[in-house]
Amino acid sequence: MSTETRSLLDPALVADSQAKIARVVNELRRVILGKEQVIDEVVTALLARGHVLLEGLPGLGKTELIKALSRLLSLDVRRIQFTPDLLPTDVTGSHILQENEGKKAFVFHAGPIFTNLLLADEINRASPKTQAALLEAMQERRVTTFGETRPLPSPFFVLATQNPIELEGTYPLPEAQLDRFLFKVEIAGVDRAVLEEILTTRVHGNVPLLDPVLTANELADLFAIVDQVHLPRGVANYISRLVAATHPGSPDAPEAVKAFVKYGSSPRAAIAIGDASRGLALLQGKPNVGFDDVRRVAAPAIAHRLVLDYAARLEGWDGRRVVGALLEAIPEIERGLPRTLETR
Amino acid sequence: MDKVPSTIPAVLKRLRRRLAVGLFLEIWPAWAIASLIGAGTIVVVCRMFVATAAPYLAWLWLLPVLTAIPALVICVQRAYAPTDVAAVADWLGGGRGALLTWFETTDPAWSDSQLIRQAATFPLPRIRLRLPQMAVIPALVFLAVAWLLPQRVRALDASAALADEIASDLKAVVVELKQEALITPEEEEKLEEQIERIRASAQERVDPSSWEAADALREQVVTGLTEKQEAVKWAQESLARLAAAAEALGSGESLSNAQTAELTKALEKLSKTGLLAGASENLKGMLQAGKMPTDPKALRDLAASLGKYLAETNGKFANAAGLGKEFGRFDPSEFPTGSVSSPDGDGFPGSGGVNRGRGDADLTWGKETTPFDRFKSKPLPPGVARSPEDWSPIVSLPGAPQVSPVVSAQAAARDYAAAAGQAAWRRSLAPRHQTAVKKYFAKDKDK
Repeated sequence: MSTETRSLLDPALVADSQAKIARVVNELRRVILGKEQVIDEVVTALLARGHVLLEGLPGLGKTELIKALSRLLSLDVRRIQFTPDLLPTDVTGSHILQENEGKKAFVFHAGPIFTNLLLADEINRASPKTQAALLEAMQERRVTTFGETRPLPSPFFVLATQNPIELEGTYPLPEAQLDRFLFKVEIAGVDRAVLEEILTTRVHGNVPLLDPVLTANELADLFAIVDQVHLPRGVANYISRLVAATHPGSPDAPEAVKAFVKYGSSPRAAIAIGDASRGLALLQGKPNVGFDDVRRVAAPAIAHRLVLDYAARLEGWDGRRVVGALLEAIPEIERGLPRTLETR
Repeated sequence: MDKVPSTIPAVLKRLRRRLAVGLFLEIWPAWAIASLIGAGTIVVVCRMFVATAAPYLAWLWLLPVLTAIPALVICVQRAYAPTDVAAVADWLGGGRGALLTWFETTDPAWSDSQLIRQAATFPLPRIRLRLPQMAVIPALVFLAVAWLLPQRVRALDASAALADEIASDLKAVVVELKQEALITPEEEEKLEEQIERIRASAQERVDPSSWEAADALREQVVTGLTEKQEAVKWAQESLARLAAAAEALGSGESLSNAQTAELTKALEKLSKTGLLAGASENLKGMLQAGKMPTDPKALRDLAASLGKYLAETNGKFANAAGLGKEFGRFDPSEFPTGSVSSPDGDGFPGSGGVNRGRGDADLTWGKETTPFDRFKSKPLPPGVARSPEDWSPIVSLPGAPQVSPVVSAQAAARDYAAAAGQAAWRRSLAPRHQTAVKKYFAKDKDK
């Protein structure tokens, strides 16, 4: 037994943080009906300071969710409607020759990316060149133009949306771009009861008015608290085994991975899972990460990072299904029970 | 640590014990099965081929117990580390990471939290024996069945035992005869050779011929003894006659060489049988010189010493007479002929005779002969060749004996051939068959 005493988060601080997060979540649930899991995943990614790619059919509330989140957090929000003719400078900003007091000089005009919350709507409609303009910003949280590097405001989130069915005139996101999204959240349709609720409580689909529930400072404090959530070594071991098993060459890889995955996840996936698990643990009022947290964030964190083989499309396997098989195959604890013992 | 709920270390301790038991049950059965099958195989082999190992087979039951030692060593080597136990405990409690965190940090601020208390209430895993563990039972049954197999006695061993028994009986006879000085060293060596030959033959194959050979050897011994006894008797009789003749002599007279010749021959025969080995040197010298004393005084002295020696020698035969009885030989004294009133038997059960007695002979349940004795034959008493002098004519018929006319075999065959088939032709052939038979079998002159 370890004799070293390390301090965890104070229970009162954890409870206070959970309450603050719960306010955000509850408000979001007032706006977006029937999407509790999506809301939890988006808030978890927010706490982990990760970018989110929302994928779903039109009209499912993707944009509304992001707008509601921006209102609740008192953050500066910019929206870019990605189109095929969008240029990188339309995102990052550009230098414009201006005359000031008889002198002409290039003056940088910041693009919409200089914001706290960037809504990149239908991101896959922009050309790869424009999409690539986001790479440095998403990873390094800075923008370099004309040899000058400018930091982005903190916090900085990219919440992108894309439509999975309209493929004409779109440019699928490259793997490098996808890897920079912490989560890819898939938004499914709503059931009849939710539709009935929407019809009876919303006029013209207008969402309720929201008031900010978190200040920027409170959000910054939350980020600091999330970083202090304890990740036990046993759970870290589970994450590492999980991500390692996404590679078809791994001896622990399940049959589904060997059959359908061409390239596995990068180490960034493991980092993403660890960060997201911390956020989810705090969301649940825990000072530590557990196996259950890892299992919940594994699918949105890994699925979009897998490069699937053509056989997967033929067999109807997608990233989430492969991750499901992965979670079934990889045990939480490296050394399980002896074969003569079974759980009750 | 002071605020740590006391239930957590206790729960972890219980879980560690349960894991150790499960680990042992996972490792040991393979060893136990291998040892049981191995022990069963050894038992089967020993039951079939190694009869001498039978007393030690019981130790094989300890083999499965002994295999627990290496299994325990492996269990110790593979024992769950405290971190492993904590990970398993956390996983059993729902995988919320609380126990793992408490184990790594032992932060007292969270020791009394609801999270920790809930994490410590996980159910212990239960032991479930699966096929690899249950396979111990058939392996155990295999050993038990092998254990219950009867020990196979090899035919060669039984033959050897029987051969040794036969040879030991014969050797006992030889030893007794040697002690009584009734056989010479040459005879002893010859008998040993024959006994060894019988033993070797019986060892290869046990059949009635083995006992027959043994009985034949006994017959041979007894015959030799009888001859020697006859020689002793002859010498005694010769000596008695010579002594009587010496008593009848007047003073100054002496016996002739013709009168002492019989005794000389009798003693020479006795010497050839080796029975004079214990005689006095004086007697041996007289025999070598071929001269018997003719002086009456010397004769009396000779008669006294020789008579004593012969009497002693004859007494040895009396002692050896029990040998034949011991070997199961026929003893006429057991069947006194004087009580037999009828040659057909007396009618008593089991007393023999033509009518073999009444049929109500007592049954002897449980007193049957043993298998080894079953093949021992009961030899008939040896035929003793009597001296022609003991024979006497029963009756003398007057005149020459009447002899029937001799008919030669050739003449008898001719007479038979002349009449052969005629009787069948005349008596048995039905009239309606005569034509057909005549067609095929009649001679040309009859057609």
